[in-house]
Amino acid sequence: MSSLSNLRISVNNLFVMIELELRRLRHDRTEIYTRAVQPVLWIVIFGPVIGNLRAIPTAGIPYTDYITPGILVQSMTFVSIFFGLTMVWEREQGILKKLLVTPASRYSTVIGRSMSSGVRSFFQVLIIVPIALLIGVRIVPNPLYFLTATAIIFFASGGFAAISILIASLMKSRERFMGIGQAIIMPLFFASNALYPVEIMPPVLQQLATVNPLSYVVDAVRSLMITGDLSNLLTDVIVIAIFDVVMFIIASISFKRIIE
Amino acid sequence: MDLAVDVENVVKIYEGKTKALDGVNLQVESGKVFALLGPNGSGKTTLIRILTTQFKPNSGRALVMGHDVTTESEKVRRLVGYVPQEMSVWTDITGYENLLIYAKIYGVPSETRKKLILEAIDSIGLSDVGNTLVKSYSGGMIRRLEIACALLVRPKILFLDEPTIGLDPVARKVVWEKLTSFKKEFGTTVFFNTHYMDEADLYSDQIGIISRGKIIKTGTPEELKRSVGGDVITFEIEGDTVDDHVFDIIRRLELVREVTIHNSELIVVTDDSETAMPLVVRLLEGEGVTVEKVSMNKPNLDDVFLKYAGTRLESGGSIKDVRQTRGRIRRG
Repeated sequence: MSSLSNLRISVNNLFVMIELELRRLRHDRTEIYTRAVQPVLWIVIFGPVIGNLRAIPTAGIPYTDYITPGILVQSMTFVSIFFGLTMVWEREQGILKKLLVTPASRYSTVIGRSMSSGVRSFFQVLIIVPIALLIGVRIVPNPLYFLTATAIIFFASGGFAAISILIASLMKSRERFMGIGQAIIMPLFFASNALYPVEIMPPVLQQLATVNPLSYVVDAVRSLMITGDLSNLLTDVIVIAIFDVVMFIIASISFKRIIE
Repeated sequence: MDLAVDVENVVKIYEGKTKALDGVNLQVESGKVFALLGPNGSGKTTLIRILTTQFKPNSGRALVMGHDVTTESEKVRRLVGYVPQEMSVWTDITGYENLLIYAKIYGVPSETRKKLILEAIDSIGLSDVGNTLVKSYSGGMIRRLEIACALLVRPKILFLDEPTIGLDPVARKVVWEKLTSFKKEFGTTVFFNTHYMDEADLYSDQIGIISRGKIIKTGTPEELKRSVGGDVITFEIEGDTVDDHVFDIIRRLELVREVTIHNSELIVVTDDSETAMPLVVRLLEGEGVTVEKVSMNKPNLDDVFLKYAGTRLESGGSIKDVRQTRGRIRRG
């Protein structure tokens, strides 16, 4: 009975954390726009220019179309890693302490705050996709596919935010992790299938790409939005789910270090 | 006697080295306002965080409203309200929304939620700015909002960590007026940390003095001050200290109940200050010690602290504390 009501409180806590994020965004949307600048440049400039070279084998898909899912996922990674860092550092020290003293479980607080980054990533999708359509990217015209892709981005975002909670818990000073966001995101991005197929990478990078969670997110989004070929989707979703669960557990444990 | 807090031999060691709490024993009666008074770094925050189940003690036992904070932490969390020293509201949403989020976290049913929040906003005097972003609030307003968030769910006991740090005197007074009226209305036990002795003196029913991780004395403000007794005469002397033999002579004077020396201040506690003052001055001058200033006071909590802990309350304080305080002021 008691454990059931605890579960109810914890699930409720997840939704409250997401509501909080929506309320914050309603008051200040600046971050949504500024964070969208970089991905839009990739799609509007980098994509068409490199595409003209016809140097990258994309199995007949126009290059800009090919990288659009990769850019969406990169944008999500940026949003979630920085979200986690700022959440842990500075502004929310007192808030996190206070949340620990509520009846909601520590896990639900960590997962809830991580999933909130999914809210921000979701708005990135809403800005980037219309611009991609505008410059001629062809997206599979199936609303169900699109919704699934968005949901995958939303959930994966939580896992990446959890990574940054973990990293923040290992950092003793704020100065040390100012650059760390970039230092995680760019290697993840380049060692993935976001900009080019895994097959054309050097063998070492290929191996990295297969253990890189980003590759699976990109693959899932690409199959749903661009190719319509869902043969790998189940594997992708399973890998992403495992990644999320593992990261949530590790982040919840490391969370203890942050608040002590 | 109904105990709100019952702590026995609690020890907390951080990362195997720093001993923050060194065998704390403490009992706080239900329905009282209790002040934990001590300088920065004395273990106040550590104790409050153990009592609010944020982490476990290395050894010892702590009960809050009869529940063990280690084994029954879930029950404890349902009964306590907590305001940490750092800012604990979101500044990029409104005051009303902050209360709404906390009400939802605690699962306040939606039928009563709105009424409860509006009452809370009204009672802390923030009705005019309830729909304004917290960013634009002053430090005192933020503190009051934090207290409202903590009191929204009607806790049996409210823990406040340095509730008025970084606030100006007027804002401090308002915060305490609100706390006092809440306490009256709901009978909430209030447990607060402070290093301001005037605050402990004015607003608490019971004070615990903490120094280097140990509670060294508890009592009502009056009891504590009476335990120092008599009058306190402070002789400001040239040089940091006096020779041991001079100190001994003064200590052995029949009029003198107690004597301490601290940073060029020789402090004498006596029941007969009129006679003792010239006597000590003559004695010091005779030994070649120049007296620059003499002052006489009734004992205050700082003297109490000096008597039991051997140092002044306001001394010390690390860079980190200063930075935290400044941080609060800047935000305020």
